[in-house]
Amino acid sequence: MKTLKGILLIILLITSQVGVSQLRIEITGGADDPINIAVVPIEWKLDSPQDEYLHEIIRSDLESFGEFKVLPPASMLSFPSTQEEVFYRDWRLLKVDYLVLGQANKSEIEDELKISYFIFDIAREKVIHKAIMTGPYKSLRRVAHNMSDKIYKKIQGIPGIFSTRLAYIDKPSAQDLNYNLRIADIDGYNGISLFSSPQPIMSPNWSPLGNKIAYVSFEEGTSRIFTQTVATGERKGIKLERGINSSPNWSPDETKLAAVLSKEGNPDIFIYDLKKNSWKQITEHFGIDTEPDWSPNGKSLLFTSNRSGSPQIYQVNIRTKRVKRLTFEGTYNARARYLPDGKSIVFVHRRNGVFHIASQKIRSGKVRILTDTSLDESPTISPNGNVVIYATKKNDEDVLAGITIDGKTKFILPSLKGETREPAWSPILD
Amino acid sequence: MTLNKQSFLIFLSLFIITACGSISNERTSDVSAVSTSASGVYSDQGLTSSNILYFAYDKSDVNAEGRAKIRSLAKTINKEGLSVRVEGHCDERGTREYNLALGENRAKTVAELLIINGVSSSKITTVSYGEEKPAASGSNEKSWSQNRRALIKTF
Repeated sequence: MKTLKGILLIILLITSQVGVSQLRIEITGGADDPINIAVVPIEWKLDSPQDEYLHEIIRSDLESFGEFKVLPPASMLSFPSTQEEVFYRDWRLLKVDYLVLGQANKSEIEDELKISYFIFDIAREKVIHKAIMTGPYKSLRRVAHNMSDKIYKKIQGIPGIFSTRLAYIDKPSAQDLNYNLRIADIDGYNGISLFSSPQPIMSPNWSPLGNKIAYVSFEEGTSRIFTQTVATGERKGIKLERGINSSPNWSPDETKLAAVLSKEGNPDIFIYDLKKNSWKQITEHFGIDTEPDWSPNGKSLLFTSNRSGSPQIYQVNIRTKRVKRLTFEGTYNARARYLPDGKSIVFVHRRNGVFHIASQKIRSGKVRILTDTSLDESPTISPNGNVVIYATKKNDEDVLAGITIDGKTKFILPSLKGETREPAWSPILD
Repeated sequence: MTLNKQSFLIFLSLFIITACGSISNERTSDVSAVSTSASGVYSDQGLTSSNILYFAYDKSDVNAEGRAKIRSLAKTINKEGLSVRVEGHCDERGTREYNLALGENRAKTVAELLIINGVSSSKITTVSYGEEKPAASGSNEKSWSQNRRALIKTF
């Protein structure tokens, strides 16, 4: 049995790897003051040919959320690959703020790549970062994404998100009658189907280490929460209760899931202990309590409740169970997510009958609408807090779209595989 | 015997999964040849209008027409000793999890009315699908009004 399962898993992974690049980022409105950076084609000193160009992957990464404008090689006056070959004047002339260059060599280990690279601050005429990046030759894209993350971190001062992944649900289509829980690199490459079912799949949520996903599946004729390990495909059903079992959300220490159960007659927020396999009730109200999100410090949960008559965002202290209302503007505020600093939230806000994604500094109480699309829902925030991806409609079809938290850059993620919804951004993956 | 059965099931599902994978990777099939039920929209199969109740936006109360349907269904259910599964559904507006809760309210309201009309609570199960199984596609009031529904399935 064990080997059989092993074979099944391997074949599953192979077949699902075939459908690459299901999502693409297309910028629809960019920032007006991007940082200008030049990424010189990395000098390739290996015998084996270069399947993809590192500088092109890095360029596409850095430009994907509009924060950088990358100088194309055709506009460069020189192609330095060492520190000595850099003439600052050339790059000042091209109005470049930062310069990246390097060399790719074979490492001592077989099939491994070793890239020595530099980041220069042109105005200050100095090297601000110098490093060696190694990785398997076959994972060139991953190596390039890691470099992009390092470049981003050095210049912006916060972690880059180019090695992160996105989980999402594919709606059944003429091509595939099943609901699919999919995962792809944030640039759309390496898409796989993690779980497929003829019954609905909902509410994917990544574990804080990025190794598991919790979600809701109706495969048993009722909603039930499952967790699944991304690398092995191993699935576990969470103890089923009567009524709704839904909206799973991992605790920061990965030992618990906040979720919604209606076993007491109406939906309330519960916490499931993954070690003890038991549920503990957190909120108790005859209205609808749903959509919990764990605070970054682990002490409280956001949730949606209609206890005041219309859906609004509330916060509950897990220890004291004291509840505090956070939103007061408008008659529909729901599905809130904390930003990584725990001080702001992003949520669905209805204004004039139109559903938008909005943000609010928790204490200010002031709602700021981020999106100009309609029927927006399911916002998910990049682990560095800079970008929101959400589900919306385009020509009556489910699509994913995104916006930077400053509202400057907008983009859509067209799917090559049909309609897509419920995006969930992974944490930073090592 | 159990082992064989399990192996067979695994192989079967493997075959199905592989087959699905190859279909979805070839995007050349004729879309127009496929019925609406294949594009994520569900025909409420086998149900007549007497088994389907419709609701107002963001509401779970049953109108007079609906109550009359429940009353006559309850009679049949009791007479023939049937069991009932009530499914609550919503339109796409609003968040998915909130709609799941709303769909449950609809299913439960219908279940309560069945009980009031003499059906034993032990014969009734309820489930909410929220907005996950629409009967009609399209972001307009016509589709939305068809999707805000409860299905009373007897067996």
